[in-house]
Amino acid sequence: MFGIRRISTNRWYEKKNWIVFAIFLFLVFVRISKGSFYKDLYYFISKPFWPGQFQKEIVRESVNQEYLIKLNLLKKDNLRLRQILSLQESANIENISAVVISRKTGSWWRQIILNKGSKDGVEIGNIVIGPGGLLGRVKDTSLFTSSVTLVTSPESKLGVWVDRIQINGLLVGLGDDYPSLILYSKDADIKVGDFISSSPASTLLPSNIPIGIVQSIDETLKSKKTAKISLLAKPHVIDWVQILKVNI
Amino acid sequence: MNKFFSKKLSIVSFIFIPIIFLWHPNWIGFLGVQPYWPLFWLLPWSMINGSINGLIFGLFLGLILDSLTLDDSFTQIPGLIFCGFLFGRIKFHSDILVGHFRYGLICSFGSFLCGSLYFLQILFRNFTDSNFLILIPSFKNILAEVFLTGFFAPFFCSQLLRMFKFSRRKLQ
Repeated sequence: MFGIRRISTNRWYEKKNWIVFAIFLFLVFVRISKGSFYKDLYYFISKPFWPGQFQKEIVRESVNQEYLIKLNLLKKDNLRLRQILSLQESANIENISAVVISRKTGSWWRQIILNKGSKDGVEIGNIVIGPGGLLGRVKDTSLFTSSVTLVTSPESKLGVWVDRIQINGLLVGLGDDYPSLILYSKDADIKVGDFISSSPASTLLPSNIPIGIVQSIDETLKSKKTAKISLLAKPHVIDWVQILKVNI
Repeated sequence: MNKFFSKKLSIVSFIFIPIIFLWHPNWIGFLGVQPYWPLFWLLPWSMINGSINGLIFGLFLGLILDSLTLDDSFTQIPGLIFCGFLFGRIKFHSDILVGHFRYGLICSFGSFLCGSLYFLQILFRNFTDSNFLILIPSFKNILAEVFLTGFFAPFFCSQLLRMFKFSRRKLQ
């Protein structure tokens, strides 16, 4: 199977070293620019296939439901905070609507690419939400596109808030559709069905963005509790998203 | 123009790998996982041009695909370099039918290798954290990818091999 036999003995890389060097330089450029050339090329190729207007109506309904949940959460939060201190200013949030033009929601790479880039004002670290709640954070931008690391990615680690028991936890992506919630307290009274939102203590996310619901709990560890979280926003079906330009 | 395309077919098809990698067509997936696209191109290229060519283009593919994924801490380069080198040492089989199915096995093995190397990087990076949580989804990812890559390889690899041979013949 591994005997050496090839059709050609053409060693072009020995004859044309400069070609190899030029290709290598080009690839280093691609690597350093984080593939922005390819992403922009993909933007133009995929443009005719972007989802149409009719999907916007379906998305709008889901967004309304999401806003209702968020509104209730904000009211509660507002009351609680007003009891403690008087709020001087609220977070300044600006929205940008975008279409998902590439989606990698399986395998190792959990990312989506959006059709809005640095020319539209998208910046690294912006929050991306879809119908249901949080999807992820912008990790990289090119002129026309922005790449979003999903909360399911193994690279994603976010501070979250369990509303019922008023406790902070860490949401860690595992590379599948259900990220894991880690509570560093064995006594935390977490239950299946508990609602998870972004933590008021988080420095990465604005507070009270809906994230998911506890699906199952693992209590086998001695020092901490872990729970499987079912996300409210489903990245594998969402075509329209909102990019939040937040100053936390 | 046509002459250029028929001559440089392998390079033209190389450019399309990142596009397919980004496209990520769901209807071809299994459990949300896609076949490992670069191997479909790397196998015929390495079989025709030998180990060193395979190794070099494994590196090139790795560089491009790494730049398209957001995981800065992990790389696909080692797996693709190793596959490129290994594929270059594989002989053609005289029986066309057996040859076709052999592509499936070889690509499955390559996909397993690349997947495992990538998984080991994730495991090493998260060693201090709760790495056990990542085991099951990772095994699922590797197995689904191995299955899909092996399933589609006979079709894609034999077509690409035919195209590369055809363009080489035109060159001579």
